[in-house]
Amino acid sequence: MANSVETLIRVVDLHKSYYDGESELPVLQGVNLEIYLSELLAIVGASGVGKSTLLHIIGTLDRPTTGNVLYDEQDVFALSDTELARFRNKEIGFVFQFHHLLPEFTALENVAMGALISSSNNKTIYKEAEALLDYVGLSERLSHYPSQLSGGERQRVAIARSLINQPKVVLADEPTGNLDRRSSEAVLELLWDLNAKSGQTFVIVTHNQELAQQVDRVIQLVDGKVF
Amino acid sequence: MRFEWFVASRYLRSRRKQSFISIISIISIGGVALGVATVILVSAVLDGVEQGLKERFLANEAHVVLRLHDSSFFRNYQERILQIETIDEVTATSPVVWAQSAVFQERSDTIQDVIYIKGIDPVLEDKVTGFSKFVDGSTDFQNSEFIETARLIRDETITGGIVLGGRLAARLGVIKGDVLRLIVNLAKHPVNESMLIPDLANFVVIGFYESELAVYDNNFGFIHLEAAQKMYNKPNQVNTIFVRLTDAEFAPRIARRIEDKVQFSVLEGMPDARTWMELQAPLFSALRLEKIATVIIEALIILVASFNIASTLIMTVMEKTKDVGTLRTLGTSRGNVMRIFVIQGSVIGMLGTLLGTVLGLVLCWLLSYNSARPSYWYAIVLIVPIFLQVLIALRRIIPRSRGWMLAVSMLWLIAIGFALYCAVTPISLADLGLSQVYQMNQLPIQVNWFFVVFINILSFLICWLATLYPAWQAANLKPVEALQHE
Repeated sequence: MANSVETLIRVVDLHKSYYDGESELPVLQGVNLEIYLSELLAIVGASGVGKSTLLHIIGTLDRPTTGNVLYDEQDVFALSDTELARFRNKEIGFVFQFHHLLPEFTALENVAMGALISSSNNKTIYKEAEALLDYVGLSERLSHYPSQLSGGERQRVAIARSLINQPKVVLADEPTGNLDRRSSEAVLELLWDLNAKSGQTFVIVTHNQELAQQVDRVIQLVDGKVF
Repeated sequence: MRFEWFVASRYLRSRRKQSFISIISIISIGGVALGVATVILVSAVLDGVEQGLKERFLANEAHVVLRLHDSSFFRNYQERILQIETIDEVTATSPVVWAQSAVFQERSDTIQDVIYIKGIDPVLEDKVTGFSKFVDGSTDFQNSEFIETARLIRDETITGGIVLGGRLAARLGVIKGDVLRLIVNLAKHPVNESMLIPDLANFVVIGFYESELAVYDNNFGFIHLEAAQKMYNKPNQVNTIFVRLTDAEFAPRIARRIEDKVQFSVLEGMPDARTWMELQAPLFSALRLEKIATVIIEALIILVASFNIASTLIMTVMEKTKDVGTLRTLGTSRGNVMRIFVIQGSVIGMLGTLLGTVLGLVLCWLLSYNSARPSYWYAIVLIVPIFLQVLIALRRIIPRSRGWMLAVSMLWLIAIGFALYCAVTPISLADLGLSQVYQMNQLPIQVNWFFVVFINILSFLICWLATLYPAWQAANLKPVEALQHE
């Protein structure tokens, strides 16, 4: 269980519906949730229940139909698009099921990308990116392109990438969903280690029971609500 | 902008396609380049033709022609000329008696033709219209050997010599040494007033005027100024002043200044200074119309090339949709994404424009540079880089290393340059049977630098505009949908 009770993110009465012409398809129907600083939170639930949608909204990639997401009591959806992009850049890291690395860029460049967006101090950025790749065990793979890396390696690059701006929270959507057992374990090792060493907050969407048993707190999503 | 440049330049080179520059970028750049090169070349030819015609025309035409509105004679033309010559841009003036006259040969008893008579001082006229350059024969109106001979064998009065337009002479059937009678004036018969007696003057044909400008060669006869003054009984008077300027293009401005500057007595008519453009308005307005039409077509060519950029970018955006989603999760704003694609398209536009400019100018140079060239068959050297490129594409013998790619690119440049040098030579209008029509031997090329700069700016602007829609489309992709795009 989380030792700290300091709330990082507060999700308040979140509704999200998708519209197809006249018909409304409600996905999230009043989600209330608090995410604490430095905790490892898993969101589980049947597929199609809206786990990813919830994660996208928390990650400001999508807007809710109604309801708020507060980071340190700040309503992020009150921000303009540019401010929101900047906020996402600084405070949120993402890891996806499919690595989503940019194919035209090397591992090092992929990791550095997030920092290059907002700063032009290339030398420092690449040094940090190198340190992160070293940390995830890929110091030999700096100038490799994603197509030259294995699935597990790509996912580790993706994790390194999510950390480049020292975000408040890393949102992971099925981070091991596409990996074999051995690679999965290596990736999870990394997450636990990061959480233990630097107190990094993680929110992980998964339906991997094994993973869910190793986190601080599990939240189950049923019928668009927290169970 | 640094981040956007970083991403855009990588997309242009598209590492995944494993080529030096992605093939689609090359095609788009090539499209713009061909458009711009065509525009520069076509307008250089048009300008060349216009310039060539102008030069031919101006070679025997004054820049400004000053007369009085009622075509009467100036009271004191020497003073007028002094006034005109105080204008800086005026380099020479020639006082002229301009008239019309009926002509017939000594053995003929009917009028053969009505011609324009230009009474000139050959020395002054030379400075204004280069008169003597076009004369086949003598320009000595008073003492030519033909006149001496004619005076010896005839008992009539010979007023002087006449230089006849070449085609006019052919039409009249006269040769040098023949005597031509000019009807100067028709006087009433002292007894029967309904009868008119022609007042005649005899001139010996001393030369032919061959300017290849039909209007002169067909219709003009040149006599000495004093002979003309005597003939028309206007001693020491002229009715026309021909003016040459430092630059023919100044004519409209200087014509107005001449009208203002020269003070005319109230007894005379109003001064009327005509420019050579006004005198040849139909020709040059036809040329101008042609040019406007061409510029419109040229702009369309570039527009078509810019569609190429737009479709390239739309394809890139579709291909990169997922990556745009990723970039948005990393915290790029819509503006960032928009700029990435605008930069990508603009770089294509800029490279294409610059390349096209270079190509167009090289073609212009080759078309105007007369030298002994190797046979155009040598353009076959292009086979070498093509062959190497195929080897690279097939991954045979030559590795896809950066060094080799660069070497082959250089080879391409050299081979294309050499092939163009061999194959593109000045176009002979004589060979095409057109030298008579245009009165030029070779297709003239005149590069207008101002226009080249204008086309560069226009082309870049059009290409930039073409990037806006695809870039806007990319910027407005919804991050979540873009991420899930397959």
